[in-house]
Amino acid sequence: MLDFARWLAQTRISLAIQTHAWVIPTVQSVHIAAIGLVMSSVFMVDLRLFGWAGTDETLRQTTRRFAPWLWGALVVLFTTGMLMILGEPVRELMSLSFWLKMLLIGVGASLAVAFQLTLGRHDGDWEAASAHHWRARCLGTVTLLVWCSIVILGRLIAYDHVWGSWSPAANLD
Amino acid sequence: MDIVDTLRWLEGSRLASWLRDSLYAFPLIESLHVIGLTMVFGMIAVLDLRLLGLASTRRPFLRLALETLKWTWGAFGLTVSTGVLMFSTSPIAYYQNVQFRFKMALLVLAGVNVLVFNRTAGRSVDRWDRDPAAPFAGRLAAAVSLLIWIGVIFLGRWVGFTKATDLTPDIDSLINLERF
Repeated sequence: MLDFARWLAQTRISLAIQTHAWVIPTVQSVHIAAIGLVMSSVFMVDLRLFGWAGTDETLRQTTRRFAPWLWGALVVLFTTGMLMILGEPVRELMSLSFWLKMLLIGVGASLAVAFQLTLGRHDGDWEAASAHHWRARCLGTVTLLVWCSIVILGRLIAYDHVWGSWSPAANLD
Repeated sequence: MDIVDTLRWLEGSRLASWLRDSLYAFPLIESLHVIGLTMVFGMIAVLDLRLLGLASTRRPFLRLALETLKWTWGAFGLTVSTGVLMFSTSPIAYYQNVQFRFKMALLVLAGVNVLVFNRTAGRSVDRWDRDPAAPFAGRLAAAVSLLIWIGVIFLGRWVGFTKATDLTPDIDSLINLERF
């Protein structure tokens, strides 16, 4: 992995990003704005799931309303994420926080897909049950916690020392 | 007691010292700050995009505002308190940081923008509440709001780069130096 990261650091695109100091901060800012859209989209659907907001429409309608923003923002996050990896390959790829984050992103995205598919199939049952069923509330809470954890891990990439000797970065020198 | 004295006092406080010395406190607080600020931006975006007629257009604006604003304020509270805690670790350095000052100025502007909205489009909200988009003053306030908050995000990141708190060594630059 280290060899691959070092090789990446010498590619034309990586060097281009490295030599223009404004690129990484700008890409990070776009990344953060997109996180905002993901967080609020997930949160608004959760609010509907709990029956705390948007009860003038069905859960399916609420999900449909925010789905384009959620998935659009995830595409932006993926793109900006790739640019950040290309710009600082060793920093990202040799970080435990980064890999844990990727794992959780897989979980989060799977939850989102599963949720939307289930909603498509059992809309009637969900409407009756969703506001009170503990399973629905659990799912909503877990989803939000997963995305919050992703945000935390993203920030911890810069502080990978918190993992002590588990951090690959600690064993680099 | 002038402002620098107050900042110096804050810097020397027990809480600030503990935050500086702890390996985990600052990273965790900063992470909570990011969760807070992304929620603030995201929830404000929901309302702004509604005003602009770009999202949730079938839902009445007032109802959407009522549903979202209390959470927005909660997230803002989290963001401000984590921000204050981070500020206390190096108050003088942050105070003197140009990007930080601009960021604070933008936050004030965001508040002013809300006040202007309330006194213009906000006055007639009952009339356009169910329209897919707000009247011009409302759309302008929404666009300004989005620009301001994107600016806050950008400046916030810039503060991070000009007031170095990243404790991980810059590994990539070390690698590059080896090649010379």
